Amino acid sequence: MALNVTLKIFRYRPNQPARCDTFDVTVPDAANVLDAIEQAWDKHDRDLMFRHACHHASCGTCAVRINGREKLPCIAPVRDYLDGGKPITIEPLRNFPIVGDLVVDVTGLFQRQEATGFVITRPTEDSLDGKRVDHTQCLAPASAAIVPFNRFENCVECGICLSACPTMAADDKFFGPAGLAAIQREVDKTDDPNARARLLDLADDEQGVWRCHSAWECTEACPQNVNPAEAIMDLRKQITARRFKKLFAR
Amino acid sequence: MNLSLPENKRLRFLRWFDFRSGRLGMIAYILNRVTAIGLVVYLYLHLAVLSILAGGPAQWDAFVQIARSPLFLTLDVILLAGILIHGLNGLRIALTGFGVGVRGQKPLFVAFMLVAAVALIAGALKIFAG
Amino acid sequence: MNHKRSSWAWFWQAVTGIALLLLLGLHTVAHHFVAAGGLRDFQQVIEYLSNPIIVVLEIAFLICVTTHALLGVRSILFDLGLSARTERRITVGLSVVGIVTALYGFWLTYTVIYTGSSSTAFLPK
Repeated sequence: MALNVTLKIFRYRPNQPARCDTFDVTVPDAANVLDAIEQAWDKHDRDLMFRHACHHASCGTCAVRINGREKLPCIAPVRDYLDGGKPITIEPLRNFPIVGDLVVDVTGLFQRQEATGFVITRPTEDSLDGKRVDHTQCLAPASAAIVPFNRFENCVECGICLSACPTMAADDKFFGPAGLAAIQREVDKTDDPNARARLLDLADDEQGVWRCHSAWECTEACPQNVNPAEAIMDLRKQITARRFKKLFAR
Repeated sequence: MNLSLPENKRLRFLRWFDFRSGRLGMIAYILNRVTAIGLVVYLYLHLAVLSILAGGPAQWDAFVQIARSPLFLTLDVILLAGILIHGLNGLRIALTGFGVGVRGQKPLFVAFMLVAAVALIAGALKIFAG
Repeated sequence: MNHKRSSWAWFWQAVTGIALLLLLGLHTVAHHFVAAGGLRDFQQVIEYLSNPIIVVLEIAFLICVTTHALLGVRSILFDLGLSARTERRITVGLSVVGIVTALYGFWLTYTVIYTGSSSTAFLPK
């Protein structure tokens, strides 16, 4: 079965007024919104600018806003948006400079990530038969003490949390949810007290964890369950605890 | 229907009040900010009004008579609502900021707002009963 | 990121906020729920302030509420995306407003207690 949907896509070119164009497209029943955008580009307008790469939520390139909410269109089923034939509105992420149409300049995000000095890697997922190797089955019991981390590696650096964050909207100086979540991840990972202190120093800044206004939009919008808001709260807790320790250690 | 608010830098602050995500955390944030602005305005109004006290008993007692009118009592109920919403939501933000109840921020908000509603009804009854 | 000095703002906002839960609770109940008619007349205000513990708590309330309110205003103003220089000016300006507010509160409390004690001296026993 095929689905007939109308896309209402934000259009913009530098030095021209922004507008919205509508495109009627036909996509397979199981199509995602990214497939529909590609149809619009393929069948209607080859000038349409949008970004994508992997089509399966591992690259974070295609993030846009669908009906106002930040999503990865590559994993957003078209059938979830069949609201009585109403058009599906697709707009670029907020809080980034617009390059054209749905493409924004995400350099600011990567610069923030780079400032923390971390390389992002991803851990393995469950195999097809649902099995997962428990390291205690093959390694010495001593290593069972390894703390199971909240996997920040889930972050695909799509920029969705920066687009959803109302503080980011207000002020570019904020370090932002993704970068703070990266710092918290590294704090959890390290055994080196000096590295830990340096990381907490980095987050302990008026434009760092203290700038967050606790709207929790980053965690709500994140397509990969990174939970940046919880990471920010954890950093606040650790920084406050450290302050009290310093205060009473004098 | 263009869902974008102006991306114009000067107008970006309008996104404080963008409740369209409809999610509890954002609604709590907006409520906190709206009540905050209201309470600051009230604080300075209140401090200004208190200067009447310096004028001695005659002036203050004349003001007290006005302040006991139903209009002022209604304003008192609105003030109490603002205090309860801001105070309890603020407690939620402080608790989660110190690492308490982070996972439960939504139920915490709902529970605190229920407490606020009950306290507001009790307070309003007391205010109008004198 | 060179804004370290002000990273205590959130912390003090939380501390004064928690203190206000108690102090504002006391202030509201004492002035509007316990008092007959919902508001104290002049004589009742004088009697209330004749307790030194109450005066200390009211002064603590004044300091906490002013600090909390102005830190809040600062936090909202900073969300306008201002330059670092403007932000510094706002911090200085609001500090001055806070000090003036507290001084006004001290003056008013002193005046009320003073005129109260002098005027009651003439009241028939």
